[in-house]
Amino acid sequence: MAAPLAPARTPEETVEEHGDLDRPWVTIVWNDPVNLMNYVTYVLQELFGYDEPTATTLMLQVHHEGRAVVSSGPRERMEHDTSRLHAYGLWASYQRDS
Amino acid sequence: MRAFRRRGDAVEARLEPAEAGIVGLLLDQLEQLLTAEAADVAGDPVLERLFPAGHRGDAELAAEYRELTEDSLRGGKADDLATVRATLPPRGGVVRLDADQAGAWLRTSNDLRLALGTRLDVREDTEPPEDLTSEEAQQLAVYYWLTGLQGSLVDALAGGRAGRR
Repeated sequence: MAAPLAPARTPEETVEEHGDLDRPWVTIVWNDPVNLMNYVTYVLQELFGYDEPTATTLMLQVHHEGRAVVSSGPRERMEHDTSRLHAYGLWASYQRDS
Repeated sequence: MRAFRRRGDAVEARLEPAEAGIVGLLLDQLEQLLTAEAADVAGDPVLERLFPAGHRGDAELAAEYRELTEDSLRGGKADDLATVRATLPPRGGVVRLDADQAGAWLRTSNDLRLALGTRLDVREDTEPPEDLTSEEAQQLAVYYWLTGLQGSLVDALAGGRAGRR
C-alpha cells in the first residue's frame, strides 16, 4: 500500500503529521437511508474496479456496520476518491487511517 | 411505466405522460436549487446532502476539500441534468439511453431521490404510503416511483456488465 505523500503545508502541520507518515489515508462510505443497495454495489464496481462479490461485501458492511473503508492511499488520492463518490451521491469522507 | 431493461448496447424504459411530467418538474426544482444564489440557500439540508463534507472533524481539511471539488461536482451535476432533460420525452414515451446517458440518469435520479428523501426525512424503516391524500404522501409516492425507476436502471446496467465478461 502506498505511503501518504509528505504534507507540503504549514510548518507546524508538517511537524504534527511527521510521525504519521506511514499511516495511509482512507476513504469511507457511510450508511444512508436513501441509496439503494444495488446502486452502492454498482458504483463501487464502477469507480474502483471491484468484482461483484467484493463490492457486495463492502456494500453489506456499509449497510450493517454503518461504514466501510473502500480505498486507501495518499491523501490526494483519497480526496479524489471521495469526490468521485460524491458525484454519485454516496455519503463518503476521507481521513487518516485509525 | 415500463421499467428499464437492456436492449443491445442501450437501456430502454417507457414513461407515461404524467411520469415524464413529474420528472421534468423535479429536474426544474433540482436545477433551481443548484443554481440559486449561495446566500439564498445557505444551510439547505438537501444541498448539504448533495455536497457533503469531505472530511469529518477537521474544518480546515473540509474547507480545502470543498474548495478543490465543489465546482467540478456542480458542473457534473449540471451536465447530467442537461443530459437527462435532453433524453426525457416531455410527453412520455420511450427513453433510450447509451452508456454515457445512462450514467447521467443514474446520478441524477439518485440526486432527485436524495433531495426528496432529505426533505421527507426518509429513514431505513420508512414505508411506501397507502393513503395518498396528503401532499407529503404524494411526494413519498414519487420518491418510491423514482426508487423503482433507478433500481431497474441499475439492474439493467449491472446485467449488461456481467454479460460483457
